[in-house]
Amino acid sequence: MTIKNVIFLGLIFLGVVIAMVPENTTKPYKLTAEQMLVEVQGAAEMVSTDEVAQWIISKDPSLQLIDVRNPDEFQKYHLEGAVNIPLSVILNDEYRDILDQGVKMNVLYSNGTLNSHQAWMILRQLGFRNNYVLQGGLNYWFDTIMNPQAPSIYSPDEEFAKYDFRKAASGALGGGGSAVVTAPAQGTAEKPKIVRTQKKKAPAGGC
Amino acid sequence: MGPLVPQEIIGMNWNLLIAFVVGIGFGFVLEQAGFSSSRKLAGMFYGYDTVVLKVFFTGAITAMLGLLFFSLFGWIDLSLVYVNPTFLGSTIVGGIIMGAGFILGGFCPGTSVCAAAIGKIDAMVFIGGIFLGVFFFAESYPMIEDFYMSGSLGSLKVHEVFGISGGFFTLLVIIAALIMFKLGELAEKRWPREEY
Repeated sequence: MTIKNVIFLGLIFLGVVIAMVPENTTKPYKLTAEQMLVEVQGAAEMVSTDEVAQWIISKDPSLQLIDVRNPDEFQKYHLEGAVNIPLSVILNDEYRDILDQGVKMNVLYSNGTLNSHQAWMILRQLGFRNNYVLQGGLNYWFDTIMNPQAPSIYSPDEEFAKYDFRKAASGALGGGGSAVVTAPAQGTAEKPKIVRTQKKKAPAGGC
Repeated sequence: MGPLVPQEIIGMNWNLLIAFVVGIGFGFVLEQAGFSSSRKLAGMFYGYDTVVLKVFFTGAITAMLGLLFFSLFGWIDLSLVYVNPTFLGSTIVGGIIMGAGFILGGFCPGTSVCAAAIGKIDAMVFIGGIFLGVFFFAESYPMIEDFYMSGSLGSLKVHEVFGISGGFFTLLVIIAALIMFKLGELAEKRWPREEY
């Protein structure tokens, strides 16, 4: 067998191997540990329950609620317009378009904040942007929006305004509070800026 | 870890220097393969010398196999590798013009620089022609802009268009290349030329 034929056979063998193996779809993490630490300490990923209530009521089209609890819990109760992406399957390709995008603002929530933060950490390390975490999770959502507690009579006026907003929101969202408003609702909450995804490009080349 | 520059493992500023070194290597290999001879290049069209086909297809399948195996081992993220966008109409017309220029002038743009570097006067004239072409293209750009930008298909990959895996497509290209190498050798026997 000549050296040429050996090379030919070797090439065909490599071709057969690469045709047989599945394509590598692992996604390397994009942020270093130091970058993650800065982000975690900044806590810029948190959005308050008041802000989210405001956006749900005003039907803000750029809001995408993501429920990271399991499907059973999602069936029992979930926020209006939320999609269910359980933490265990968050890396599935079918959810990638929702989680890695530059148009909407994703707000992750779970019962507390543990699972939603775990999901957020993974997504952030993959380099995805525009993912946020609902402050306090659903438990805090019920405490503040669904069953708001009246502030004590010595509280400052802002507390009463907040309480009125929460009661109104509660009424609009089907919670326990009645829709009696004694002060105008607070102004529209400032939304975190959406960062458009920009694909990095290498310079073009040619012959 | 790769690609190194988009991942910022190597800074953007090094890009041109790396391109310079790779370019010199590319030119050296072209020269060593005999691509600075326009007679050798034109042999491809007449059948007496098919080394052009062999060198470029060997380069193509080496790169395909290398990238896919690197991706398999997790050494490169193929989604970050730049793919030239396809403009179908202008690509076809440009290909015809390029082929006509190749057979008329005896060089392709890369090999002309290579041949000029070893002092071939016809290659220097060819490079002058390249600059004339660039000038006329730029001056007439407003007239042909609509056509130039027509048929935009985005960054296509052949295997995605056909809906097959990249690995299987690579196998097909390897088999096609090996068949063409054999046909090329038959052509060299069928239309031999002693001196060129």
